[in-house]
Amino acid sequence: MKILVIAASNVRRMLRDRSNIFFVFIFPIAIILLIGAQFGGGVDPRIGLVVGSDDQLAADIAESIESAEGIETNRFESEAELVETVERGGAQAGVILPNGLSEVAARGDVVEIGFISRPDGSGTQLQSVANAAIAKVMTAVGAAQFAASETDASFEEALSTSRPLAEDGSSIGVEVTAVGEALFPSSMGQFDLGASSQLVLFVFLTAMTGSAALILSRQLGITKRMLSTPTSVSTVIVGESLGRLGQALVQGLYIIGLTFLVFRVDWGDPLGALLLLIAFSAVGAGAGMLMGSIFRNDQQAAGIGVILSIGLAALGGSMLPIELFSPTMKTVAHATPHAWALDGFAELLRREGTALDILPELGVLAAYAVVLLALASWRLKAVITRP
Amino acid sequence: MGNILEASGLTRTFDQLIAVDDVSFEIAEGETFGLLGPNGAGKTTSISMIAGLLEPDSGRVTVEGVEISTGSTKGKASIGLVPQELAIYPDLTAVENLVFFGRLYGMNREELARRVDEVLDVIGLTDRRDDLTKEFSGGMKRRLNIGIGLLHRPRMLILDEPTVGVDPQSRNAILESVEQLSSEGMAVLYTTHYMEEAERLCDRVAIIDEGAIQAEGTRRELVALVGETDRISIAAEGDLDAASSAAGSMSGVREAVTGDHTIEVLAADASSILPELLGRVSGAGVNIHGVEVIEPNLEAVFLHLTGKALRD
Repeated sequence: MKILVIAASNVRRMLRDRSNIFFVFIFPIAIILLIGAQFGGGVDPRIGLVVGSDDQLAADIAESIESAEGIETNRFESEAELVETVERGGAQAGVILPNGLSEVAARGDVVEIGFISRPDGSGTQLQSVANAAIAKVMTAVGAAQFAASETDASFEEALSTSRPLAEDGSSIGVEVTAVGEALFPSSMGQFDLGASSQLVLFVFLTAMTGSAALILSRQLGITKRMLSTPTSVSTVIVGESLGRLGQALVQGLYIIGLTFLVFRVDWGDPLGALLLLIAFSAVGAGAGMLMGSIFRNDQQAAGIGVILSIGLAALGGSMLPIELFSPTMKTVAHATPHAWALDGFAELLRREGTALDILPELGVLAAYAVVLLALASWRLKAVITRP
Repeated sequence: MGNILEASGLTRTFDQLIAVDDVSFEIAEGETFGLLGPNGAGKTTSISMIAGLLEPDSGRVTVEGVEISTGSTKGKASIGLVPQELAIYPDLTAVENLVFFGRLYGMNREELARRVDEVLDVIGLTDRRDDLTKEFSGGMKRRLNIGIGLLHRPRMLILDEPTVGVDPQSRNAILESVEQLSSEGMAVLYTTHYMEEAERLCDRVAIIDEGAIQAEGTRRELVALVGETDRISIAAEGDLDAASSAAGSMSGVREAVTGDHTIEVLAADASSILPELLGRVSGAGVNIHGVEVIEPNLEAVFLHLTGKALRD
């Protein structure tokens, strides 16, 4: 019971600290949102079109672009209007299909289509989309040009014959089969990767910076005062450990809950996710306790805690997906608990794993937690019973 | 009245330094016992051993017959410790701090709620009960620090320099609280380096220096122990030499001399001889304008025993 009293006071103090409200609750979500936005998926890119009013070929190409998947299209009256819209970011790219395209095509000349884009990566991608849609139409045009040149039929007659043939799928098909396992499967949500990596980063960071509160309790003589009550040293140590575990769990559950509700992050098997969170939170609690028992100055502990947390998070794959690491760096990364936690979350989020599938990760994290908590308890006992 | 606390032969060294050397004393129910000494004299180390926070190298402490040690929680419920540090959470309210420590003392919910209200009333913080303690003044924090020690109605209250750094008003409130608690039967161990506090509060005082108790007793006993006397200064006009001679012949008067318009009388106990002394002096034909009685204080005793002032 006294253990819970001590633990609860730690959680209450964390929730009461205004600076914690930002760093524990607001900042992680902002980062997850930012990472999710960078992974795209929320809004389809937009292509603006200027279509010659009296030209069948222009109309066909426009229709083909408009039917392409994954983009939105808007039509504009003039090229100037389209350019301004792209410049202002209202569309990422624009295609200009002037009058007279059909005539040029009928003559067998090269058909020129204007394409404008913003100077960022999206332009290149949208050009590919536009090219594919144009090529679909121009296949029929090319066939009609050939037929008109080799027979007595006019271009228009040949085009009316070739167009249905181009659309009926009689072209040569290429089937693409992916070999091996996708690193980031297409079913993965926009926020999934950021949510799990930032959960790991921030839970550990909060636990580490929480060591400052433990040092403050020691400095103020509160820990000693607890020992003047009928409360044993082991009760105080277990209570403080449980308090830090509680702090980490509060933040972890908050991130999981909010990202599930707001960003539709699928955390996979709930039992697996919960066990993984508890195991990693215990690692963080142990690390925070150890920091709190080693350092005498709370500011020093908080500063070094931040540096260590960020460093371990970067090394462990919280900032750049570990799948992109070299084989050597992947091995090095697994010296951190972060990498094991992220492996576990990857199994749950991307491969529909269960609690059984992440037993190795849970085992390694439990070992980390036991070692850190044992070290921290030994050190803290020495510190708080010191004269 | 039986003894609540018995400390015998407490000794503790840190490396080569003997911090506490064979300290022994007892405190009875309703008694306020003072440990008077300068900073570094061994007061806090003694208290740490008595409260079960520090294991003595030798000696033992019992509270209500239960031996106190660092490895056991037995007997600690009988002790209320008010440490010198402000050992309260700054980011919790006054009530939350009281409830936190009350739960550690094993108090149940109903009793705790009642006692929190009572203690807040005693320490004068009822109207600030839900404020974070980091918003409190130094004196308010000190009062809460004491309140936590009182919460579980301990039989033995230990106060380690509870008035350090507080304003005169809060200091007076603290001293009044201690007097009240003592009168209610609580045994109080009070450490201070303020001589006036020891004189006001303590039934008995132990003078501690360099880890050892130099002398112990009531103020009067300590004064007598070192041969200090009361001094009576009589401002008068007339035949002062004759008056001095008359005063000097009284039993209880150690010495009487004539000064500049004064007669200076040294006596073991001024209060017991004062009426007769004034009668003899006026009978010698002098007009008395004023009388001042100067009793020797513990500062003088401390100086006599250790060769240094309390605040050195």
